[in-house]
Amino acid sequence: MEINQKHQETYQRFHVLHRLLHIVIIFNFIFLAITGFLLHFSAFGWVSSIVFLMGGAGAAGWLHRVCAVFLYIGILVHVSWLFYYKIVLNQKLSGPDSILPGKKDIRDLYQNLRYVFNKGTPPLFDRFSYLQKVDYWAVMLGMQSMGITGLMKWFPEFFTGIFPGYFINIAAHFHFHEAVLAVMYIAVVHMSDTHLVPDIFPMEKTIFTGEIEKTRFMEDHPEEWKREQVIKG
Amino acid sequence: MQSGTIIIKTKLRTRWMCPLLTAGCFFLVIAWFSCARAGTDTALLSTWFVDMNQYTTAAHGSLSCEECHGPMISKGLGEGINKGKSHPDPDAANFLKTQTKRDFDYQTCRKCHKTAYARFVRGEHATAAAKEKTTGIPSKTGVAPNCGDCHSAHYVKSHQSRALTGKIMTESCGTCHVEQKESFLDNYHGKTAINLGYDKAALCTDCHGAHTTLSLKDKEAALNACRRCHFDATPEFANIIIHDTKENSELKNDTKKLGLKWIHGLGALSLVFVVAVLIFFYIHTGLLMLRKLHEKLRRHK
Repeated sequence: MEINQKHQETYQRFHVLHRLLHIVIIFNFIFLAITGFLLHFSAFGWVSSIVFLMGGAGAAGWLHRVCAVFLYIGILVHVSWLFYYKIVLNQKLSGPDSILPGKKDIRDLYQNLRYVFNKGTPPLFDRFSYLQKVDYWAVMLGMQSMGITGLMKWFPEFFTGIFPGYFINIAAHFHFHEAVLAVMYIAVVHMSDTHLVPDIFPMEKTIFTGEIEKTRFMEDHPEEWKREQVIKG
Repeated sequence: MQSGTIIIKTKLRTRWMCPLLTAGCFFLVIAWFSCARAGTDTALLSTWFVDMNQYTTAAHGSLSCEECHGPMISKGLGEGINKGKSHPDPDAANFLKTQTKRDFDYQTCRKCHKTAYARFVRGEHATAAAKEKTTGIPSKTGVAPNCGDCHSAHYVKSHQSRALTGKIMTESCGTCHVEQKESFLDNYHGKTAINLGYDKAALCTDCHGAHTTLSLKDKEAALNACRRCHFDATPEFANIIIHDTKENSELKNDTKKLGLKWIHGLGALSLVFVVAVLIFFYIHTGLLMLRKLHEKLRRHK
């Protein structure tokens, strides 16, 4: 088992742009969560002290907005990369390498649940497992709805020109509930499934270095590995 | 060998001490700020006895008693202009037992606070008081207040910060308007103004007026109140719900009632969605983790 890991063959898994965008999302997400929840749970005495050190409620609010803008710029950069990938590089966005959900993900989920209860073998994932797809789409779709509800809270004067007044209140409810969902999902599910898994603990470095070791590649993405070998001949 | 382990141990200790000390200092600073910012007292209410130590440092501290309470001629002997302003009879059965705020004639405040008094007379609290007088039934929120119910004449301090004024105001309005106080503190305005001391957020009086105390049921008046800060507010802007109260959701034929129905309905729906998604993924992750741990331990046996 104890192979010298430094000499293990590695494969490129993530492009540098995606690694950078992941870091952008990490930092902005953390700051958004901190400032947002401090403002929401301001009734606790210690919260007002931390907000005071941040420069008051106004500064915390602006920090929240600035981080939101940077995070959304990250999303836009990613979407424009998708266009570049499709149009300029003429690559396929669908297919087995795709992050789009497909029928295989439902089958994988079912097989994984069987595996959990010791009734079968673990599913053979392709380039992205269904949990990785959920992680991706949680951010991708979540940021759209957080963006819209956040803008409604930011510019109520504009949005009440289009919608009834109580839409702003609904947006506020959605914004908070989704924030809770996002933070509790990332903090527990994403962290556990990527970093806490016994084979990977203490840390999954692939998204930061872009490289995956051969053994991990064969174990975690066997279908992709098989295709890679076929292409290589 | 032993000395080596000791050196490693002390190295480890110093390595841990630094972040621990920093964290400790950070929490001490937080605790200190919390204490410093928590020490705000709300308005003390009038009784028959005056704490002179507080009175002399308060806003009215330079006034003598007679300037507000009259010349205090004993046993109700006041005549002419002083009639009714005399000292109550100490032998009377109800001496020191009546309610101070109901006995005092607040017309006296008018002498100095002309604008405030004029606004108060025009306002909805004065209208409610007049209605109570004619019908004899107190309003559902409580007896309509006069000056002394909101302001402590003896202990009120002048030139207080906006944040502190807001805190005192929320408490004093909230003694009668409990639901409104709670819903305000649940809104951005209340959270930032009262909890976080943000100067730019609206307090009770910024929308409802300090002495006119409008209920803002009138759409035009409500929009004008919004426009004091939100200059570009559209008519629909005034329908954003600030006070998410039972009273508002029980209103009949009102856009607010419809709005609150949608807000509560969709809010509950999104909460159910959030809880369902979290439960599914937490169980999924927990089970998968147990299985993988199990596999790993079995491999190592």
